[in-house]
Amino acid sequence: MASITAERSLREQYPRLASGSEGIDVRELERLRARARRFADEHVRPRALEIDRRTGEDPGWFDWDLVRAGAQAGMLSFLIPKPAGGAGGLSTQAAVVMEELCAACPGIALIFGAHALGISPLLLGGPSQWDGVLAELVASEHSGEPQLMACAITEPEAGTDVEDPDLLRRARITSHAHRVPGGFRLSATKRFISNGSVARWITVLMPTDPRRAAETWTCFLVDTRSEGFTVSRVEHKMGQRACPAAELTFDGVFVPDERVVGREGDGAPETMIVLACSRPPVGAIATGIARGAYERVLSWLEEDRAATGLLERQHVQLALAGMEEEIHLARQLYMDAATELDHAALGSAMSHPAVRALGHVPASIRGRAPVRGWLHSGRARDATVALLHRTTSERAVTRSLALSSMAKARGGDVAMRVTGAALELAGLRAGPLRAELEKLWRDAKLCQIYEGTNQLNRLEVYRGLCRSETIGCLPPLRGHLDTDERAHTNADARAHLDSDALQHASVDGDGGRS
Amino acid sequence: MTETTVAERAEMRAMARELARRELAPRAASLDAGGQDVLAECWRLLVELGLDRALLDEQHGGAGLGVSDLLASIEELAVGDGGIAMCVLLCNAALATLADEQLAEVPWGARWALVPAAPEVEVTVLGGALDGRLACALGAHGAYGLVVLLDGPVPMTWALDTGAAGSRLERDLAQMGLRAAPAASVEVTGAACAPTADGSDGSSTAMSAASALALLRAGTAAIAHGIARRAYEMALEYAHARRQGGVAIIEHDAVSDMLSAMAVRLACWPQIAADNRSEIDQAQALAAKIAATDAAVASTTDAVQVFGGTGYMVETGIEKLMRDAKYCQLFPEPNWVAHDELMRSQRAGRTAMRGG
Repeated sequence: MASITAERSLREQYPRLASGSEGIDVRELERLRARARRFADEHVRPRALEIDRRTGEDPGWFDWDLVRAGAQAGMLSFLIPKPAGGAGGLSTQAAVVMEELCAACPGIALIFGAHALGISPLLLGGPSQWDGVLAELVASEHSGEPQLMACAITEPEAGTDVEDPDLLRRARITSHAHRVPGGFRLSATKRFISNGSVARWITVLMPTDPRRAAETWTCFLVDTRSEGFTVSRVEHKMGQRACPAAELTFDGVFVPDERVVGREGDGAPETMIVLACSRPPVGAIATGIARGAYERVLSWLEEDRAATGLLERQHVQLALAGMEEEIHLARQLYMDAATELDHAALGSAMSHPAVRALGHVPASIRGRAPVRGWLHSGRARDATVALLHRTTSERAVTRSLALSSMAKARGGDVAMRVTGAALELAGLRAGPLRAELEKLWRDAKLCQIYEGTNQLNRLEVYRGLCRSETIGCLPPLRGHLDTDERAHTNADARAHLDSDALQHASVDGDGGRS
Repeated sequence: MTETTVAERAEMRAMARELARRELAPRAASLDAGGQDVLAECWRLLVELGLDRALLDEQHGGAGLGVSDLLASIEELAVGDGGIAMCVLLCNAALATLADEQLAEVPWGARWALVPAAPEVEVTVLGGALDGRLACALGAHGAYGLVVLLDGPVPMTWALDTGAAGSRLERDLAQMGLRAAPAASVEVTGAACAPTADGSDGSSTAMSAASALALLRAGTAAIAHGIARRAYEMALEYAHARRQGGVAIIEHDAVSDMLSAMAVRLACWPQIAADNRSEIDQAQALAAKIAATDAAVASTTDAVQVFGGTGYMVETGIEKLMRDAKYCQLFPEPNWVAHDELMRSQRAGRTAMRGG
């Protein structure tokens, strides 16, 4: 099947790129898109229905060969900063890749999307994260045995609540990160975690004090080989099945201080920034799904004997025109949101001269103990936050979040409408096409739910655009937990520390430091 | 057809409701998973109640229900499982078209299905032999017999023994919705078929092909309404139980607005006139099918949204309602084709089209 929309250049699809005002390297973006399209045509589309069938029978089944093929196409590292060996992309690159992959299969695309989501919090950690897991991910991609990431936020009693700082204050949070010498012990159940059962590393958010979840919400980088980590179950989903959604149990999982991403207590604003980054790609996922349905039904109408004469009908012509229109508008929204985020809200921080300068320092030097120690120090983390404050503002990020939310919500609705309309045009008798359209329709529904329900996203639009409110999207210059409080929390934790915890910390090689 | 009393009608509906709640709803997940044993078990219960041949009169072993009574019962069954309700609809529509001598050969409890088809495009009939291929014939897999309805300017029905030489049925494994009415692709190569009774001239008690098609549309509307009722009940219950932002989610306008829209759609249900005639107004059936199935798709989609991520998981059973409702929108024809049919009848200045 010819990819009708993909034949058009990015500039044709998104005319604002033609002005060159967005500071985007369009040629590089075109190359990335072409690579994603080639991977989609050669590996994703041919396997989509079969993987959907197999995972429908066994939700735990996972196609690692596909991930290896994706790794060869660079689908796992486009978001990783260049100093860590990646392509240094941001939301725009992620969005463009997602549309291409989702036009072929949204479930398979989600494997790579959830991986990118897992990486996102690490980008906010700044240079301290370059030489650890990010570099390991790039190395694994090159070795042919790729590692995947996931991001764990949702809990059994808190779904929407954990996506909004105000709701988080009233949420029923059951997770808890206890401070212990040298790090934290995580106790939690996290639900619906995409890639959760196959990820090697997971960025997980939970409070260090559940009574003050919003103020102590913190991001941790968890090694899934850690003692106490288990995959409780893999969910049987309606769609997007190729990417497993898992329930994860953290039973006293030890995380060393070095793997606290950002500062303790900065998790809520970090989540807002991560959502601002991840929602344009979700809008792109939805746009890709709609495009996939549109291209398939148009191709069927043009080529299949069962559809003879249907293209002559005005009803069909109007329906197709409506689809084209909706897809075009959805694409403008996600590209607007992504380019604004990358170049107005966060781009300056990522390309700040100080960051670029550190990027020129060889990894071997950054890895030396004194440099590494400084990069992971509280002062370095404070400096990263200060840099964010210098290069952007809470208003800019709030506005970006609102645009991202608009793109996500609108995209999700477009995906549902277009896949539903395509299915209706084809009907039950459309043979193999029907199965593909039904799958896309099932896949589309998730776009109205994940990354915050569409309703929550539209409330973000209300706050950020209708009311021009500014929400706390940046970590405060001074950490949520000041020195006295930190000392108190540490003393509290030490009092509760048992010998078992000490033993575990010791085994992990990080005991004794706090 | 014999007239049923008001009390009998109410009793039949109550029995269907009870069966749906007690027997079908708990088995809905197994039926959705394609379990043939559980389908056989449910079918046995329906046969015991006489719902498989509800439209037939007592001399043919039927319950003697009128169309509106059957529709009411089907709606109740659909609250339990839309696919089972579709099986009942397809069986009743098929058997209602058969001549007396054909009915006499139908074994007790055998499941039949009425299969609409486009003449010339999908199948042709020549000299009592069927040729062609029918994709996604709902309820055909495992059926004892089929009545193929050729939906042309003059609709006709032909009875086909599924075991007849020249016919081959293959389970449609990709079937997304109404999976308790297992679909099959039907390939016929010179398969012997027999014309059913043509009740259009009133010479027979059997239902005309056009009326059978109208029954499919009205019945599909009833199933869609039953599915939407179930979706509303489940979403309402969940919205009271689930807490976010420190309160039950029904306290959030974003959720209560969706529930309210679902309630409004249910209240605006386009009832088919509750008389006891055996025939249905064609235009009314088309309009009801379009309105009810569109409403069911909107309501079930909203219901999944109320459940959030939980609703996307198969175990909650709410996403199944969405899939079932979507199939109602596509059967016996997609709604855009139904719109077309309706307008064609209006342009011709007829309120009742071919069978009117």
